[in-house]
Amino acid sequence: MADEGENEVYSQDIMVDSKEEGEALPKSEPKKNLLKWMEITLSEPERRVGISMKMQETYMVYLIETKITDETVEGYGDPPTSIWRRYSEFEMLRNYLEVMYPFVVVPPLPEKKATFTWQKSTTDKFDPEFIERRRVGLENFVLRVASHPLMSQDELFRDFLKQEEGWREKLIETGYQAKGDSKLRTLSASYRIKKPDSRFEEMKSYSNELQSHIGNVLKIRAKLCDRLYAYHKVNANYGRVFSEWSALEKEMADGLQSAGHFVDVYASSIDALLEDEEQFADQLKEYYAFCDAVRNVCRRQELAQLNMEKAEENLTYKRNQRDQLAEGKTSGLSLTGLKSKLFGGDTAEQREEKLKVLDEQIKEAEAQVKTQTEEAREFVKDALQDLERFQRQKVKDLKESFTNYALFQIERCKKGIEVWQKTRECFEKM
Amino acid sequence: MADPLSAAAAERELFGDEDFEDLSPSSDQLNSINLGSDDGIPLDSENSTTADLLEGSGIRNLELEDEQMDNETKDLFIVVDNPEKHVTTMESYITFKITTKTTRCDFDNHEYSVRRRYNDFLWLRQRLEETQPSHLIPPLPEKHSLRRLDRFSPEFLKNREKALQKFMSRLEDHPVLSFNEHLKVFLTAKQFEFQAYKKQGSGFISRTADSLRNLSASYMMKNRSPEFTMLQEYIQTFGEKLGTMDRIQQRLVKEQMEYVTELNEIGPVFTLWSNSEDELSTALTAVAHSIETCCNAVQESVLTHLGQGLSLEHISETEGEFGQSLKEYILYVEAVKAVLRRRDAMQMEYELAAEELQKKKDEKEAKTDLSELAKEVERLNDRTVCADSDLKADMERWHKFKRKDFRDLFIKMADKQISFYEKSLKAWEDAIPLIQNTEQETKKEED
Repeated sequence: MADEGENEVYSQDIMVDSKEEGEALPKSEPKKNLLKWMEITLSEPERRVGISMKMQETYMVYLIETKITDETVEGYGDPPTSIWRRYSEFEMLRNYLEVMYPFVVVPPLPEKKATFTWQKSTTDKFDPEFIERRRVGLENFVLRVASHPLMSQDELFRDFLKQEEGWREKLIETGYQAKGDSKLRTLSASYRIKKPDSRFEEMKSYSNELQSHIGNVLKIRAKLCDRLYAYHKVNANYGRVFSEWSALEKEMADGLQSAGHFVDVYASSIDALLEDEEQFADQLKEYYAFCDAVRNVCRRQELAQLNMEKAEENLTYKRNQRDQLAEGKTSGLSLTGLKSKLFGGDTAEQREEKLKVLDEQIKEAEAQVKTQTEEAREFVKDALQDLERFQRQKVKDLKESFTNYALFQIERCKKGIEVWQKTRECFEKM
Repeated sequence: MADPLSAAAAERELFGDEDFEDLSPSSDQLNSINLGSDDGIPLDSENSTTADLLEGSGIRNLELEDEQMDNETKDLFIVVDNPEKHVTTMESYITFKITTKTTRCDFDNHEYSVRRRYNDFLWLRQRLEETQPSHLIPPLPEKHSLRRLDRFSPEFLKNREKALQKFMSRLEDHPVLSFNEHLKVFLTAKQFEFQAYKKQGSGFISRTADSLRNLSASYMMKNRSPEFTMLQEYIQTFGEKLGTMDRIQQRLVKEQMEYVTELNEIGPVFTLWSNSEDELSTALTAVAHSIETCCNAVQESVLTHLGQGLSLEHISETEGEFGQSLKEYILYVEAVKAVLRRRDAMQMEYELAAEELQKKKDEKEAKTDLSELAKEVERLNDRTVCADSDLKADMERWHKFKRKDFRDLFIKMADKQISFYEKSLKAWEDAIPLIQNTEQETKKEED
């Protein structure tokens, strides 16, 4: 059961509430949600220069700090831990989680390169604004994993938060890289399975739809930003003309001059407003990437299904073989029987031996079918549960994003009203 | 030609009666106006087959001049409206109805209604420049240019009607120009009378002005009062600023229209998205709805900026209310420059005459001649002094209504912005409970 995890709120703002809620829980409550007894922050991005493969590289590291907030948990009262992690380590962690929890919609990392950009978007990876947005994204990722009922229990994840030394090695030791399904295998699975699960088929097409909707919103939003930005900046020219013009006038001069000032304020207000709005874009981008994670789960379901079907096929094949062999024994006039007689076929003992081997293989295949079926069923059960959790989370998160978007628009309108009212007052004095 | 009762009469007397006799009316001038215009050869409206009545003629711009500057007892009201298309075998053209209401005693009736075409306005303005050279004559809208709208399109006619109304309003408010005889004829004469009157022509002053204009190129003024030099500099820079503002407002309209285009696209994306969601459906629909409201608000804002009765497709080609007011002042710049040139010409003529008189005095030749010349010099001096004070008074008035016009215009601009933002604000405030509403529903379900 994805019991408590389901209703957890992963986004930062509301996280505080859930934490308080957690503290109020009875002490015996299983601590599946890390966030209920641990405070995790990611801060202070710092630029580092290192040598890798004889090449100098510059990268950012982020400080992860944890502190235990529940007195019943071991380690309460210990000084907070703090370690540095870089983006590539987050990537490693995420890959590891995808392999170890194939039925889980693993939260995505913030984008590597800026996408859905508009004229003012930065393409510089070391731009403070980009770094800050990445910091928020990485923190969000960590918090989402930490509040996941299963992933939060993972030892390597916990080490990721606290253990800088030897973490990479330990992670590699798990052999997760080898266990990972090759893209090619998963890709072909969807064409080879005979009985696709309609629930996952639906989920797959839904995630495609969702991704295309979000993609469209992001694309047009970027264009809207361009337009809004240009509109405000063109207004700045009024500011300049008003101020130049005021130098020519007598009675109108003061009014024009101060109106020009407010028009300038209007023009420059858009920078901060649109910068804030990037948050909304980032939230949508997260769900854009989530769609890939959903599809990965669906693909892995297909793989499990394929494995099961293959095991079934194998069993059927072996059974047929056995049936034929057994038949050959009874109907001595069959072609194979004739052949074996002519060319010195199997003796009765040999046939008995073969049948024995086949029976053995059938037993094995049956066991195989059983495990594969069991695995596939388990996978479907777990995956459906996690997808349900994901859906609930999505509804909650996106509603919050839309609310935020509305709030940004409200803020922009209020700014607009305020500055134009001031400008109007100046005009009245003209 | 009867002299008007006004100061214009005194004005004309300065030129002496002999000027009227010496210069025969020239019809060349008239012809050149008619042939040079894009409206083609004039025809009597009686011959024309009146075509479609054009829409939107009911909107008058009386409110533009509601507040009178310093003229409490306004006794002349002119309304330009009701453009009508005339189609003849020779040409097609537009006439506007001009309704005059007056209590002035030099008008025989209290109310007149005539139809005039753009060329007639041009004729009137030309006559005003000739008969009132020392005054700032309000500008007329520019001739139709091919780049722009179809000259019979309602958008173009609406704009032109407004601009012509503005021209007449400027005249009716003017303490001197409103008494001009040509204006009176323009407002009152029946079609055939008006045509006959136009043919009489005059053009005597413009000839003088022409000859003087040629002089100005080679002659530097000695004693031009610095205030006119300042005025000239002012109007030059003012014109540049207006040009910049005109470009800015055109660009802003363009940006806004492109913004609307994008907004129009993003709304449906949310609607489409809502179709593939259950619980999020309400929230997505709410977002789509707010965007649509904002979209309408921008469109409305652009439309009020550009004037009513316009379709969106024409927006990029049309001058809005704001643009039109700017255009009027841009044209005013030329009008001010022209009146300055005329003033300079008068001063120049005086200075040349004075110089000649001085030269002759120095040479001490033909003493009998000098009294005539001295008289002429004095007359020219008086004329220059009068022209200076006319222009000063006109510019003072102009500065006053310019200040008021721009104040009103800018306040309207600010109001437009405020109203747009208020509408959008409301749309988004309304959306928030709808976006969050579904959340409560789910909670209820869970409970």
